[in-house]
Amino acid sequence: MIAETGHYALVLALGLALIQSIVPLIGARLRDDALMNVARSTALAQLLFVGASFIALVTLHVVSDFSVANVYENSHSMKPLLYKITGVWGNHEGSMLLWVSILALFGGLVAALGNNLPLSLRAHVLAVQAWIASAFYLFILVTSNPFLRIANPPIEGRDLNPVLQDIGLAVHPPMLYLGYVGFSISFSFAIAALMEGRIDAAWARWVRPWTLVAWIFLTLGIAMGSYWAYYELGWGGWWFWDPVENASLMPWLAGTALLHSALVMEKRNALKVWTILLSILTFSLSLLGTFLVRSGVITSVHAFATDPTRGVFILLILCLFIGGSLSLFAGRAGSLKQGGLFAPISREGALVLNNLLLTVACAVVLFGTLYPLAMELLADFKMSVGAPFYNLTFAPLFTLLLLAVPFGPMLAWKRGDLLGVTQRLLAAGVAGLVVIAIVWAWTRGGSALAPLAIGLGVFVIAGAMTDLAERTGLFRLPFATTLHRARGLPRSAWGSVFAHAGLGVALIGIVCETTWNSEYIATMKQNDVAHVAGYDVKLDGLFQRQGPNFREMIAEFNVSHEGETLSVMTPSKRSFTTRGSSTTEAALLTRGASQLYISLGDATAEGAIAVRIYHKPLVLLIWWGPVLMAFGGMLSLSDRRLRVGAPKPARAKQRLQPAE
Amino acid sequence: MTRKQRRMTIIGGSLAVLALAAALVLNALRDSIVFFSTPTMVAEKHVAPGKRFRLGGLVQPGSLQRGDNLAVTFEVADGGAKLPVAYKGILPDLFREGQGVVAEGVLDANGVFKADTVLAKHDETYMPKDVADALKKQGHWKDDYGKVSDRGKPAATTAQGNPQGAVQ
Amino acid sequence: MTLWFVFALMTVAAILAVLLPLGRSGRAQNQGSEVAVYKDQLTEIERDLAAGLIAAPEAEAARVEISRRLLAAADSEPAAAPKSSLKWRRAAAVLALVGLPLVTIGVYMPLGSPRLEDFPLAQRARGSGSGMTLENLVVQVEQHLEKNPTDGRGWNVLAPVLQRLGRFDEAVRAYRNSLTYNGESAERRSDLGEAVSAAAGGVVTAEAKIEFERARAINADDPKANYFLGLAAEQDGHKDEAANIWRALLAKAPADAPWRPLVQSSLARVGGGGTVPALSDETIAASKDMNEGDRNAMVRGMVERLATRLKQNGDDVEGWLRLVRAYLVMGDRDKAVGASADARQAVASDAARLRQLNEGLKTLGLDG
Repeated sequence: MIAETGHYALVLALGLALIQSIVPLIGARLRDDALMNVARSTALAQLLFVGASFIALVTLHVVSDFSVANVYENSHSMKPLLYKITGVWGNHEGSMLLWVSILALFGGLVAALGNNLPLSLRAHVLAVQAWIASAFYLFILVTSNPFLRIANPPIEGRDLNPVLQDIGLAVHPPMLYLGYVGFSISFSFAIAALMEGRIDAAWARWVRPWTLVAWIFLTLGIAMGSYWAYYELGWGGWWFWDPVENASLMPWLAGTALLHSALVMEKRNALKVWTILLSILTFSLSLLGTFLVRSGVITSVHAFATDPTRGVFILLILCLFIGGSLSLFAGRAGSLKQGGLFAPISREGALVLNNLLLTVACAVVLFGTLYPLAMELLADFKMSVGAPFYNLTFAPLFTLLLLAVPFGPMLAWKRGDLLGVTQRLLAAGVAGLVVIAIVWAWTRGGSALAPLAIGLGVFVIAGAMTDLAERTGLFRLPFATTLHRARGLPRSAWGSVFAHAGLGVALIGIVCETTWNSEYIATMKQNDVAHVAGYDVKLDGLFQRQGPNFREMIAEFNVSHEGETLSVMTPSKRSFTTRGSSTTEAALLTRGASQLYISLGDATAEGAIAVRIYHKPLVLLIWWGPVLMAFGGMLSLSDRRLRVGAPKPARAKQRLQPAE
Repeated sequence: MTRKQRRMTIIGGSLAVLALAAALVLNALRDSIVFFSTPTMVAEKHVAPGKRFRLGGLVQPGSLQRGDNLAVTFEVADGGAKLPVAYKGILPDLFREGQGVVAEGVLDANGVFKADTVLAKHDETYMPKDVADALKKQGHWKDDYGKVSDRGKPAATTAQGNPQGAVQ
Repeated sequence: MTLWFVFALMTVAAILAVLLPLGRSGRAQNQGSEVAVYKDQLTEIERDLAAGLIAAPEAEAARVEISRRLLAAADSEPAAAPKSSLKWRRAAAVLALVGLPLVTIGVYMPLGSPRLEDFPLAQRARGSGSGMTLENLVVQVEQHLEKNPTDGRGWNVLAPVLQRLGRFDEAVRAYRNSLTYNGESAERRSDLGEAVSAAAGGVVTAEAKIEFERARAINADDPKANYFLGLAAEQDGHKDEAANIWRALLAKAPADAPWRPLVQSSLARVGGGGTVPALSDETIAASKDMNEGDRNAMVRGMVERLATRLKQNGDDVEGWLRLVRAYLVMGDRDKAVGASADARQAVASDAARLRQLNEGLKTLGLDG
């Protein structure tokens, strides 16, 4: 009964989405409040039903109901409870259900929190959301239905792919989807604005929190996924320029551009057409990402779904939404009014440069992702575009961007004083140069570019600090005033300081890890000692252990540094009987921001084992950076200005009266 | 500045960045992309030693040999031809004889493929798509390919390749 | 029945979600407007000014700009009172009352399986005993072994069942484990070999052959090992060798051995000559006993048939080697050289076969 109820709830959600796609639009055309308000209640009901459907699937996985094909194929009665739950979205059907659940969640949130929106705008936004939802409900029901049953249920399931049986799966896909799908809101707002033919600074302020939420989750999702790959795949790589990674990076780049251009629109009523276009493009790239991952069109370690009918269906959705929205944009963009003026050297100008570099970088990634596909299709040969390509293209563009980052927030709106800003950034620049000199003198080996890049990272961080010091009058004014000012500083300003500093932090981590990573690979016997980056790693022995649904060979290493014993590290190799496959569980020892990383290879007959030991200096900065960025985003999100009218509807109403 | 001049500045700046990006991409395309080949393609096309490429195919059953200090050799076959591969390091978890593999590296003067990367695939049932496509194209594709030994499976290739191109 | 009742309740809830707002009239909802945003921006400027974050002239400029937007927004506020269009509201209500159930039933019925009960693990555990299929028993044994992987007896029970169920790969693993935990035995080795070759689609692979050879090393008379080694020889094209193995096997076998007919029919297959010309050394040797003319006619006939077949299908390296050998036996060295050249050309595209061919030719003394 749970299975069929979940299935029926999903069908009901489709029915409601279809009504929500049409009725509110008619209402908006006729200015009928009741018809427009249908969108609100149907969006909430959709959330209820899709939520029920999702909970039903989770329950089925938890109780191991193998009469449901999806559970049979991806679960096992002996799997730990956590992986029974996360296994729900560790497969194609379940992950698509998670996708629409999050879509419904965002729709429900707009319906519930959108009291500050004009009624017709909200009706339009929710109707567009319902279009997207309808398309994906249909996709799930027709091609990827997780509730299909098996008449004669087998007694045991086929288990989840062991690589996915990890805590990373609990966090990474939901985060990533919250990001991907969150951008559907700014897309819907853009389409709504185009349909209404009205767009202004207020629009940007209404969209901003939604874009921010999506951006925060996408940032964390990408960082989380990267860390997961780092420790789970067992060779210490954290970014592979894999098409699936690119698919999440592209919406991030476009979304970051959107955040900044919406800022210009909110403050200065300029860049309106561009912002609308970016909203459309960002979500289109999210859809493209879904297509690339879900259709299995690209060779990739992530592609656990491969089925041409699905691919064609998603491609249709993709063409419909991207093509439709861009046509609407082309038709309506001309009628949108132009906004405020600004000089090229100004905060607006800096943000335009930011947008330019981000979108061009995004285009480069898009090119690198699609070029091999196009070549295969047109010229019939296969090739891959990997890290060397991106190092030569993406890296220089991002370097330019990072150089410009400290300048942007310090320029004034409308007309800025570049010379003045440069003078104020002098200290940050000097800090960067000093670091370059120190690093140059201190280290040996590695690329000559590395110290420069680290200096750039320091410059970005110091630049963010300078901005903060300037705004609060630190060192110029009495400390009490500074404190007072710091308290009065809008949280969004704090947010941008943290986000920009996060960029610098991540850059330093990336450079240190790639340049001074030391590696030791060998076959080790008991009591052998490996010397890696000043650490002595001694193999104490090998042990066997029985896990819930796997057997495990654990190697115990004693790690010491300059004679002082630090810790025991126990990497392991698990073999899963049901699927007859194995995974490598790396062991990590964190020292400050650096890590020692041990993973195992095959054991030989004589009791020796292949071992890979890495010392990765400052590697954790790679993920602390994005976490810092996301924290900045959250600060910005909590800014009271973004919640204008929302929590105090009564006051908003009172204020409205004189205007009406 | 007039509105027009301002607009021209922005457009000019955009074009400059775009031109820069295009130049970077074209430069990168010249020497940083890696082509994908199968043993048959290697045999037919005389890939020059030292040219970097990705080799895909099935690990020939019985060909895996482990040497000292993590050196391994194995053969990659695609039904039409075989190519010996040498690699030093730890093979990925899902590396199996009879199953699909993608390796990146260069051919040496003796026609041995020196791989510096051997790519893992994530799933038991998932064949690297490049490999699957290449095999399908040559008519060697079978779902249980790894289980069927070479004998009794007439090769469908009719191409008259140069025997010198074939490995040794 | 409960299920349909739940469906009905859910449908009613969904319909209500559409009907409720339609029933409400007038401006019951709060709604925001741009005006609110701009007013907020104005107060924000005052705040920033008070906090000293912006200077007075900047604040003034911003105030002017926002006020301009505020006026524009106030102008464009929908002046007309909200209309209520009863006709369309009714249409929407009908859509919800009729359209929604129709769509949901129309979509659900072909996809769903309302008759199927849930089948969670807890229920299965209770209902065990009756209706246990072989597969389910296997699963139970497997679960037991998952926890006690060193239980050799369990593997012993499991392996043949898996083999019979056609799950050869798993059977191979089970036999391996059985060998590990029960110790060596000729039967287990040859059972493993059988599973390996079953997994390879009946081909006695090199891997399987090793197992049979090990079995024979333990017990030279192990019938299964001997049978499969014969099969291996046959598959390698050494029919005489296969025949010898099987003949020896039959000679030692008890008269009532159940596998006698199988071996006999296999022997007949290689000994009695099949549809394919079996040009083994044995036949050539046998033909030596005939008179000169007969022998030449027979051998030439067979050789010609083989040559024709190889012309049509040149992939058979063994066939080519037999042909070359036949020419050599017949003393026709030129033809042998010609045939080996043909053979090289025919398998040129396949490095593996080419190597096999070259090695074969080398042993025949036709180097290069």
